[in-house]
Amino acid sequence: MDLQGGGRRADFVGLLARLILGVVLIVAGALKVTSPAVSARAVNAFQILPYEVARYVGYALPVVEIVVGVLLVTGLFTRLSAAVGGLLMLAFLVGIISAWMRGLSIDCGCFGGGGSIDASQTRYLADVLRDTGLAACAAWLVVRPRTAYSLDHQLFG
Amino acid sequence: MRPDASKKIAAAAPKKGPNPVIIGAVIAAVLIVAVVVAIVLGNSGKSTGTGASAQPSGAVVTDAGGILANASPAKSNAPTLDLYEDFQCPVCGQFEKAMGPSIATMVAAGDVKLIVHTLSFLDDNLKNDSSKRSANAVACAADAGRFLEYHAAVFASQPTQEGLGYTDAQLTEFANTAGITGPALTTWQRCTSSGQHAQYVLDTQTAAEKAGVNSTPTLKLNGKDITKTLTTAESLITQVKLATK
Repeated sequence: MDLQGGGRRADFVGLLARLILGVVLIVAGALKVTSPAVSARAVNAFQILPYEVARYVGYALPVVEIVVGVLLVTGLFTRLSAAVGGLLMLAFLVGIISAWMRGLSIDCGCFGGGGSIDASQTRYLADVLRDTGLAACAAWLVVRPRTAYSLDHQLFG
Repeated sequence: MRPDASKKIAAAAPKKGPNPVIIGAVIAAVLIVAVVVAIVLGNSGKSTGTGASAQPSGAVVTDAGGILANASPAKSNAPTLDLYEDFQCPVCGQFEKAMGPSIATMVAAGDVKLIVHTLSFLDDNLKNDSSKRSANAVACAADAGRFLEYHAAVFASQPTQEGLGYTDAQLTEFANTAGITGPALTTWQRCTSSGQHAQYVLDTQTAAEKAGVNSTPTLKLNGKDITKTLTTAESLITQVKLATK
């Protein structure tokens, strides 16, 4: 395998993708995990899932984000955790774009908080751009899970 | 004799990958942890109180809940105003300053049927219990027939900084301001300290979320959300008049 040229550079692109997606997921999860009820209400405010389902999604989401984020930062099961992270981003994008198109005025609650806000305070475009970028990081890792400084490499060669 | 090639063969063989059993176990463990945490947290939100017996007087027995604020029945053609507020919400405080007196006048005249939903979600945001305690206290005041008076007293003393909350001494002071005295005050105190309407308060929050109310204040006129159309007290009075059949 070519470790000197493009391959090695690509390993570092992968490392960057892993760290960006992983750190954002850890931060987002950590900001919400201590206020699960707030997280549940933020999910409910999207008015997509039935109330009871939204509650459980809201409770589980911060934990899942932290777990996947830690796996990505350490580079363990990179392809699988990137796939889960990518699916999360796609789900967030669907939710945010749907709320935007339905004319709701909500905070996505991505980093805590959430619920209705003034129409002038919504920032759907910024949320969509951010999550699209993160989904791109996930896509890179699913296609090419080999990255520099990963536990996958240390443990499984 | 052929040369021993076993070392070469071993070196050429693919390195032993991760044991699929271990990978599967790790994935399963992660999922189980997430699901267990979600269920534990989900059930902790549904804390049980003293049950249906603890409905405050004036509680509206519908899925939407809330407390009817009219002391005497409103006119038969009066529209229904549903007001969703959290006692710790600063915008609710501003709303009460601007609209409260006009609403109280309309209620007293029987021009509107006012149902107040005292929410408590800000406790989770602010990490205290003042919304739930004050919502329980105002429900106890409803038992004493002093709902609107107590409601006004709380908002009049809302802390300038969001999150400071209300002390028990303040809640008692509001009872005095609301004119709850003598034996009624003793009953109110027992009701407040035992959290008699705690379950009712939680149910009110849940009912509001199910009804799609996720911010305060929210004002519904005959079921229609008019919060964003309100600019002044006059605009509310006008809308109420238009909704009067």
